[in-house]
Amino acid sequence: MTTSTLRRTGDGGDLAVAPGPRPRPRRRGDGRAAAAFLAPSVITFSLFVLIPALGVILLSFFDWNLLSDGTFIGAENFLRLVGDARLWSVYGSTVFMAVAILLVNVVVGLLLAVLLEVRMPRWVRGVFRLSFLFPFVVSSSAVALIWRFLLNKDLGLVNYWLGLVGIDRIDWLGSSVFAPISVIIVSSWKTIGFSILIYIAGLQAIPNELKEAAIMDGANAWTRFFRITLPLLSPTVFFLIVINTINSFQLFAEPRVLTQGGPGDSSRTIVQYIYDQAFGNFDLGYASAIGITLMVVLIALTAIQFRLSRRWTFYG
Amino acid sequence: MIETALPRYSRRRRRAASPFASIVSFAILVVAALAIAAPFVWIFRGALSGSDAELYRLPPTLFIENLTLANFGKVTEQVPYIQFIANSLIVATTVTAAQLITCSTAGYAFARLRFRGKDAMFAVVIGSLMIPIQVTIVPLFLVMSKLGLTNTLWSLILPGIFSAFGVFLLRQHFMSLPYELEEAAKIDGAGHARTFFQVILPLSGPSLATLGILCFTYWWNDLLLPLVMISDTEKQTLPVGLVLLAGRFSTGSLGTIAAGITLAIIPVLVVFIAAQRYVVQSIASSGLKL
Repeated sequence: MTTSTLRRTGDGGDLAVAPGPRPRPRRRGDGRAAAAFLAPSVITFSLFVLIPALGVILLSFFDWNLLSDGTFIGAENFLRLVGDARLWSVYGSTVFMAVAILLVNVVVGLLLAVLLEVRMPRWVRGVFRLSFLFPFVVSSSAVALIWRFLLNKDLGLVNYWLGLVGIDRIDWLGSSVFAPISVIIVSSWKTIGFSILIYIAGLQAIPNELKEAAIMDGANAWTRFFRITLPLLSPTVFFLIVINTINSFQLFAEPRVLTQGGPGDSSRTIVQYIYDQAFGNFDLGYASAIGITLMVVLIALTAIQFRLSRRWTFYG
Repeated sequence: MIETALPRYSRRRRRAASPFASIVSFAILVVAALAIAAPFVWIFRGALSGSDAELYRLPPTLFIENLTLANFGKVTEQVPYIQFIANSLIVATTVTAAQLITCSTAGYAFARLRFRGKDAMFAVVIGSLMIPIQVTIVPLFLVMSKLGLTNTLWSLILPGIFSAFGVFLLRQHFMSLPYELEEAAKIDGAGHARTFFQVILPLSGPSLATLGILCFTYWWNDLLLPLVMISDTEKQTLPVGLVLLAGRFSTGSLGTIAAGITLAIIPVLVVFIAAQRYVVQSIASSGLKL
């Protein structure tokens, strides 16, 4: 795509088609400069990302309780994983909640972002954007505490409003059916602003000329959305699917503060389970083995998403 | 010249939609915005109410009968709340400052310099997005305890200094800046350091602000790391402090908890309102694509 010509025509939004690094001769001293520029990152990456990542692999082969020295036990932790019924049920809840949060973010986020394109005064748009994004920057524990009150079975506002339209009191936090749903609602409520923001950016990157041309050709709003907006937005959708998958599988604070993972394990997430095993049971080896399963799941999911994305994403 | 080369944020013409569609769209937006804003309004209102009975009254009224600031005082009586706020501020600002340095320099190297192993290194950076801190929290704890840093704020600051997302975000932005700028700087005799500090960085305000705001709010709000690393109450950060506060009161004194939540929200509200206009602008211009 001729990004350089497109760049001049639009209003700047289409710059999202970032021009690739243009080939240019390697400058003298590039290597040394790169070393200097990368040094802070390389050092902190090694110490706090790479070593812990290797450490988690190493630890998973040990029985280690923090107090005594660890003993090497081979694959025992991994064999234990297979027979751990709790782990499977926690994975079930995690996947359920993560997928739901992902869908709300990607689908409802798109809807709201598209609606924000409707003509309105600048400041009104600003107010909407501000209110949508705001929960994203508020701490999960504050958000979860607020909702703990709102979702209270007897005194909470949510049940009060539902009562007005004739719906019986729901035990949002205390029933194994509704506890994960509560986590989904609260977490989506908190994170959707980020998805909307990324969508707004993606929508701005779509050249207006295309839409205008389609209007000239008599395309209605639906056709324009499905034939122009959505295909051109597909890289943004893909970005959000990947980022939201990774984030949703890391859910920790909301369920911990909202429901403590309960009742039973109905709203417990895998990160909570890792935390419980490591710092509740002091079973560091086993916690590491669980951590590795999460890492494998995330890498596999991302790889699959990248693979599938070739079929449906459209990079100009 | 610089002006025209830079992305300008949305001055686009908006086409008129049919009045019916506009009204429906607008109504949906208003409902969504209310659903997001109402819980905050309710909690701010709770922080200013004198009695819990008033808070639990259904339906809630916007008007507060016993307007008071007493709840804010009570917060600090029960837990060292000022200390929590100070700790969170230290952690969030230090991490943000450090991250802006590491991510912008690394982003510049990946976007603008040619060196051996660049693609492989960048792949490692992107790959590390998939190894979240939650997975490596156990060895991270052991690293910190070997360094003797557990139960200090360092154990919360150091793990935040590198950010794969930050490197990615700034690299995307730097790649969108025209090469002509750099060539001009080079002809003027500037080396990489000067080009970076005097040409590239001054043009990157919105992107730096975006990374700054995302980073600040993340580390201001993180619950897991302080829960794992910090054992002394007075060294805790706000998210843990809030949970402690809520625990001390159980269900009884909602007003105090509401005041605590409000105090936790105000700093991010300020940072956010100050910087939010840059956020959309920079994400729009840097083109976040995988």
